[in-house]
Amino acid sequence: MADSVFSPKFAPFIGMSGIAASMIFGCIGAAYGTAKSGIGIGGVGTFRPDLIMKCLIPVVMSGIIAVYSLVISVLIAQDLNPPAHGESNYSLFNGFMHLSCGLSVGLTGLAAGYCIGIVGDKGVRSYMLQSRVFVGMVLILIFGEVLGLYGLIVALILNTKSKG
Amino acid sequence: MATRRIISQEKTLLEKDDTVGSSPAANEKSNIAPAVPTSVIMKLLAFTLGMIVIPIGSYYVTVDTLFKGNSTYAGALAAIMANVVLIGYIFAAMAEDQSEHQGGQGVAKEGKKDR
Repeated sequence: MADSVFSPKFAPFIGMSGIAASMIFGCIGAAYGTAKSGIGIGGVGTFRPDLIMKCLIPVVMSGIIAVYSLVISVLIAQDLNPPAHGESNYSLFNGFMHLSCGLSVGLTGLAAGYCIGIVGDKGVRSYMLQSRVFVGMVLILIFGEVLGLYGLIVALILNTKSKG
Repeated sequence: MATRRIISQEKTLLEKDDTVGSSPAANEKSNIAPAVPTSVIMKLLAFTLGMIVIPIGSYYVTVDTLFKGNSTYAGALAAIMANVVLIGYIFAAMAEDQSEHQGGQGVAKEGKKDR
């Protein structure tokens, strides 16, 4: 396909910004979740070291947010190829599609990581005082985590559309 | 007549090395053995490695063999595998807690007395 209005030279820029958005926003969310719940674990661990193993669950969930971003980044990166013979074969439609993939998984990951961080911090501190909080804390964490999963599902569906 | 000086063989309080908190005296070896048992550390290391390797590894293994290049299914599988690791971790943490309840009852009581 020749360079045209449908596949301009700047189209790969938009697609690659989708990769960057997915990785950057997703990792901001995962880092916030890990750090905030890590503060809570540090507070709990000095009083009840036996609870640390169960209190690490929000940290593991934050790690999963980063895995979602990573999967989408790899998927988008596989669709991007260097232009053959100086001609761009990457349409503007695909570029915006990949940008929306990256933004959807990145920003939902940011939201989910923020939720996991706050719930993880307060949750493990409450769990130290009242062990019945654990089931509720894990359920809230799973519902927070599912927000990132929705973004991943939307991004996967969008990514299949760009192939056709 | 000169009085005999008392020559003490023991070290005086000033000459002794102090043990401050958990840090030992200068001529003693410090206790660097981890407070948590090795099995727990190995479990945590295994889950860390699994969290890094399993999702992205399952993607690259299955994208060409099982799914014939359809990277969407392989990506979905990678996300599912990450959640499988999480569920495995939750079950491992629950099992850890229950075994501590059954086995460490006496130890827990003794620990409370110390405090």
